[in-house]
Formats: sequence, structure tokens, C-alpha cells
Amino acid sequence: MWRTNLAVGVIVLGTLALYTGVANMIPQVESDVPEELVMSLDATPEEMVAAGEELFLGAGGCTVCHGLGTRAPDIVGVAGAECANRQPGVSCKQYLHESLVAPAAYVVDGFQPIMPDMSRTLSDAQIWSLVAYLESQGGEVTVTAADLAPAGDGQASGGAEEAGGAGTVAGAGPTVAAGAGPEEIIQSLGCLACHSLGGEGGALGPPFDGMESLSAEYLRRGILDPAADTAPGFETFAGTMPPNFGDQLTAAQFESLVEYLSQLKAPGQ
Amino acid sequence: MLALLAAMVAAMGAALLLIAPGELAAQDMARMREYGDFPLVGARGAIWIAAQVHLMFAAFVLGVPMFAIVVEAIGIFGGDKRYDKLAKEFTRLLLIAYSATAIWGAILTFLLSSLYPVFWVYLTQIFGPSMWLYAGLFLVESFTLYLYYYGWDRWSDGRAKIGHWGLGILLNVWGTIVMFIANGWLTYMMTPPASVTPDTAPDQVQLWSAIANATWMPINIHRMIANVVFGGAIVGMYAAYRFLAAKTDEEREHYDWMGYIGNFIAIGALIVLPFAGYYLGREIYEYNQQLGITMMGGFMSWLWIIQAFLIGVLFLAGNYYLWTGMGRIPGAERFTKHVKWMLLVLVLGVIVWATPHTMIASRAEIAAMGGTHHPFLGALGVMSAKNTAVNLMILTTFLSFMLYRRANKIPVVNWAKSGTIAQGAALSVAAVVVVFYGVYGYFVTAIVRIGFSVYQVLAVLAAMLFVVALDIAMMRGAQSRGEIRWGQMPARSQYALFILAVTFTWLMGLMGFARSGIRQHWHVYEVIRDTSSQAATPALGPAATMISICVLIFLGLVALIFWLGGLAEKPAHRDPSKLVSAAPKPAPAVAGGDG
Repeated sequence: MWRTNLAVGVIVLGTLALYTGVANMIPQVESDVPEELVMSLDATPEEMVAAGEELFLGAGGCTVCHGLGTRAPDIVGVAGAECANRQPGVSCKQYLHESLVAPAAYVVDGFQPIMPDMSRTLSDAQIWSLVAYLESQGGEVTVTAADLAPAGDGQASGGAEEAGGAGTVAGAGPTVAAGAGPEEIIQSLGCLACHSLGGEGGALGPPFDGMESLSAEYLRRGILDPAADTAPGFETFAGTMPPNFGDQLTAAQFESLVEYLSQLKAPGQ
Repeated sequence: MLALLAAMVAAMGAALLLIAPGELAAQDMARMREYGDFPLVGARGAIWIAAQVHLMFAAFVLGVPMFAIVVEAIGIFGGDKRYDKLAKEFTRLLLIAYSATAIWGAILTFLLSSLYPVFWVYLTQIFGPSMWLYAGLFLVESFTLYLYYYGWDRWSDGRAKIGHWGLGILLNVWGTIVMFIANGWLTYMMTPPASVTPDTAPDQVQLWSAIANATWMPINIHRMIANVVFGGAIVGMYAAYRFLAAKTDEEREHYDWMGYIGNFIAIGALIVLPFAGYYLGREIYEYNQQLGITMMGGFMSWLWIIQAFLIGVLFLAGNYYLWTGMGRIPGAERFTKHVKWMLLVLVLGVIVWATPHTMIASRAEIAAMGGTHHPFLGALGVMSAKNTAVNLMILTTFLSFMLYRRANKIPVVNWAKSGTIAQGAALSVAAVVVVFYGVYGYFVTAIVRIGFSVYQVLAVLAAMLFVVALDIAMMRGAQSRGEIRWGQMPARSQYALFILAVTFTWLMGLMGFARSGIRQHWHVYEVIRDTSSQAATPALGPAATMISICVLIFLGLVALIFWLGGLAEKPAHRDPSKLVSAAPKPAPAVAGGDG
């Protein structure tokens, strides 16, 4: 009997040892916690680039897709050189910031819109540090510590205004210029990267033309909680639309956008 | 009574803890320490062990009743008392395992409330009513189990027996609801509704929307099937040990048969499990691409190579057991020559499946490899190749089983030859479809390629259903080449059952780590951040060590339970006067036997 017990023990422990050993032999990658980034208002661009690089290569998780060449563009060494050419009239800093906080607004040809909204997981300081790092990859760093300043403290300038349009950092409140009409809102938020209007725009989301058939309630939900409904024929892209567009509008802007969309007829009508 | 006592302790513990949160004012919450510490393994380690061991026992006590009632039904409606006894033997293993489940559940509850008090309060504020229901159902489930087991001999005939079988069904119903409730809690942590943000107060979260989140149903389905696999494997291990320790031929016969049934249940359900896993994975991607990418291509990418290795072991060990078992079946010799080819397909399949593709690599590693993917192995690492490999492995395992099933039979229907040709053709067509879409997948975009896996799966499932249906019809009234010589199995075959059980248990721990770990430093993904000193998700090596510790604790306790179960049993099959009537009968037709 003891022989049986011994054999069973050896088999069980040997199997466990094998699996544990193999798992310990392969490359060990720990998922780090993004550390709280404290940047003073006199931080130099070099300090921001260094912080951004650490984030890019580590806890930001960016290299999971960027750098492999298949899931997302390889941006190391080239992001700073190419960013200003992506969207006409959009500066490098604006484009990179938008790529991080509203990634579906512009998707590079040949890639799927899988980039998450990083403002959900990173602080403003971390996002601006990433922008600084990406600018440094073949371009000139224009991000300054002033970009970190929240609106209203008298120090907001440059990038924050450029990126947000109203002197606030994205994700911290309305970012569309006060008084903007529905068409300007659509332009500002980059809606046409995915939706089409008058035959122009993207095809990742349902066209705006013909939305008069949808209820105002449905449209409101579509903006505030895009995961709640998926338009027929667009199941493949479900989950693509960022849920934070509502946060970037004032209540009046939001309602004017809903009203505008609810009046758009289908082509030919 | 131990199980009932433990269930009551667990229920009372949960109820007491649930009273507190409602009374806590915001300032009390602010004053509350956020995290506790635990000696030696830390808070995270303590929770990990308690949760994992609880889950292992829970999987066992939920999985075994599912096939216990099927086996009991075979006994009732087939008129074979042998199956009824087997079902009772399964249920006896449940009794003590049930109390272990409850005790570890209580340990988990107390550790959560003392080591993660703020997060615990958050959970109770959302899920409080469902926790009360959980505790209540747990008590009802305990009573039902006792009635089911202790009423076995009293309600053994006629309508009373049907009523008893109904108790078994009720036991499954309660257990399934309990599992679904707990799954709501854990899946909320992984995929909370999109409307829940870090600023959402817990009392503003709708209970039902929190429970019925994106991965709730996929997890429910995946766990139900996995529990059957796990239960079958543990029963197989129990039978293997009893076989090795048997003193008489009759005992060997009995436990050889029981081990075969356990293995059949485990491997049969395992074949379906990847499809449920695919559904779960797809829902994770649908919910959040980043979550999916973290799972499959991020810091966890190597985990899937380990998983492929483990599943390779399962396929090889499961098939090895079947091939060895054919040695005790008259007529099986004619199939022996095919074994080496099936082994070849399995080994090649494992190699392809375990080929890495997209790994986190350093620049130096990428430079050394000549690119982000290996020039040759990169082509084998893509999903087209992997899906093809795993579907062919499933088809091969199915073929092994069919050969085992047919080994000692001679069909007497006049269409037997054309039926066999049709079966071969169905399997061949399925293999061709699998290979065709595997190759075609290299020439289309990723989004189209993903859709191909559905065609591959459907081809395999359709072929298996067709072949089984045809086989059952074809083998009706078949002549026998001789009875299966139960008990005449080499000891090494039983060690394969041990390897299967250990591997299933370890795999369960690994997948638990994957599911829980993709949240990374979040208690609730992108809602509640883990700010403790142990928030970083460990690499695979330390995780594997923790998994092995959990498996050792579980198997050690299972050994104790089996030993206790042995003390309590009435050794009917050891009683020489009952040996003749207790001799094993053939397994049911669906399980490959003659019965």
C-alpha cells in the first residue's frame, strides 16, 4: 500500500513541479501599477518626456500594441515626425492628445479602432507626459508644464487650449468651444471619423443622415452610453465609440446636437 | 451534519457582515482602514488561496450532482441498479466536500471583510440583497443534499424513486442559482456596466444591471461545463486510487469501471469547453478591446502557451487512457495500428497550439528574431493555425473514443458497411473544412479570419453529432466479440487519471488567474482602483507557485475526504456474498459500453 501511496505522491508532486517549473522558466512579465505622476508647474519638457517614456514602456501598457506592427502603428521614433501631418489644421500636440483621449476620432488607415480612451486610466499629467514623449520621437517637444494646469487657475495656456479648445484639459469637463453649434460640435469631437454626414465621413458607425427616424431618447443614450445599443449592421464595431463625448459638452450643446441629429433626413428624402 | 453546520456558519457570517455597511456613514467609511495585512503570504495571497480552494471545492460539489442525476436516471430508466449505486457513491463524496466548500467560503468572507474592508463594503452596498439570497439558498441546498443522500435507500422504488431523482434535480437547480449569483459578483469586478464610473456611488448601481453584466452569462455557461469536467476528473482520480489500492478482482473491476465513467465524463465535457471559452473571450473583447488584448497579447500572453501545454497533456493523457483501455476489449487489436497516427496528429497539434505568436519582447529580442514575429514559427502561431490544430485534436480524440466504443461490437444491420463509410466521410469532410479555413485564413483580414473559426467549430460539432447518431442506430442489436474485461488495466493507466485530475485542477487555477488578473490593478475594472501595496499583478512564475499551493491544499483535503468517505462506506463490493451481483456491467451505449 505504501508503494501505491508513494507512487501517487510522486506523480502528483512531479506534475505540479513540472508545471510550476515551466511557468517559472518563461519570461516573467509583471503588470505594474501606474504610479501617481506628480509634475510641478516648473517641470521641464525633458522631465515630462522621461516620465512619458517610462509610462509608454511600462505601466501605460502601450507596447502591448504599439511596436508589434500588427495591432497598432509603430510609433517609436516616428510619432513626432508624423503627427502634424495626420489631420489638416490639427497641430502635432493636438493630434497626439486627441489620440489618447478620443482615439476613435481618427484611425490610421489599415488599423482597427481598438485604442482605448486613456483618460479612463491615466491622469492628465500622465497623458501630457505621454504626448511629450511621443513628440520627442522624431519631432519637437512643445508640451510644457503649463499644459498640466487646470482651467481657471490663470495658468492654462497653449496645449490645453489647443487640445481642448476652451482652456481645460480633456476629460475634466466640457471641451467644445462655448457657443459652438451642432455642426461645429461634430467637427470638434471628430464624429466624422466614424460617422458620415452628407455622404462625407467614416463608415465605422451608422450615418448621421436619416437619423430623423430615431427617437431623441435613443440618440441621447447613443451619445452618453454608446454600449447600450448597437445599430444593426455595425455589430463588428460595437464598443468602439468612446463613452465620454457627453462629458465634453455643456447641457445646451448636448441637447442642440441631439435635436440637430434627430432632424437629419436620409439621402433623397 | 458537518456540512449543514458549516453552511449555517457561512450564512450567519455573511448575514452579520451585511448588517454593518448599511449603518456606515460616509465619515465612518473615510476613517476605515482600506486594507489589512496577513502574515506570511500577505492580504492578496490569503484571499487568493481562500478563493481558489473554495472555488475548487465549489466546482466539485456543483459538477458531481450534474452527472450523478444522469447516472441515477440511467439506473432508473434502464433498470440497472448498478448505476444507482454508482450515483450514490458519487453523492457520498459530495457530503464532506460540501462542508469543505462552506468552510472555505466562510474563510473567504471573513478574510475579504477584514483584509479589504472598504472594498467589501462597496460590494455589499451593491449586492447586499443577492448575498442574502445566496446564504438562504445555500441552506436550502444543504437540506436538499441531505434529503437526497439519506433518502436514497428509503425512496428506492416506484414513484418514490422518481421523487428522489427529483430531489437530485432540485439540488442541481439550487446549486446552479447559487453559482450564478456568485458569478454576478465576480464578473461585475471584471466587466462592470459602462454606466458605472469611479464617481458612481454604489447605492446608485442597479443590482440587476450589476449582476447581468457583459461576461456574466458566458462565465455561467463556461463554469457549468467546466464543473462537470472537473467533477469527472476528480471522481476518476478517486476511482484510480481505489483501483490501485484494491485487494480483490471485484474491487478492481468496480473501480476500473468507475474510473472509465469519470474519465468519459471529463473528456466528453472537455471537448465542448473550448467553445464556451471562445464565447467568453469574444464577450471580453466586445466589452473592452484593451481588456481582451491584455488577456491575449499583453503581459499574460505567455499564459496561453502554458495553457496550450496543459491542454496538450489533457488530450494526450485522456487518449492514452482510452488506448490502454482497449487492451481489455476483445476485438480492439484491429484498431491498434491506427494509434500511432492519432498520436502523431495530437503531438503535432500540441506543438502548433503551443507556438508563441505575439509576445511582449524587448528590442534586443525583436532584433535577434529578425522582426516582431519569428520568420517560420510566426506563421504557426496565428489563430488560423491554432484553431486548425485544436479542432483536429478534438476530432482525433473523438475518433479514439469511437474506436473504443466499437471495439468489441459487430454491427448486424444490413447497412453497416455504408454507415461506416458515411461516418468516415463525415469525419473526413470535417477535417477538410477545418484545414481549408485554416489555410484560407492566411489570405484574408483579421476580422474575416475570426469568423472562420465558427465554420471550423460547426463542422466539427456537426460531424460528431452525425457520427454518434449513426453509430447508435448502427450498433442496435450488435453482436459482441466478448465482454470488456473490467479490472484488467495496467496500473500505469490509472496514473494517467491522476495526471488528468492534477492537470485539470491546475488549469482551473491558471484560468482563474487569467480571468481575475486581466483587471490588473483594479478591484472593479476602471471603476475602483486597487491602491494597496500588493496591487501589481504578479508574473506567471509567482502566480504558478500560488496555483500549485492551492492545488496541493485542495488535493490534500480531497485525500482526507476520500479517506473519511472510505471509513463511512458499507463495502458491499467487498462482501464476497454480494460480489457476483455487484460485478460491473457494460457502460451505457453512449459511454462506449454495451449496455
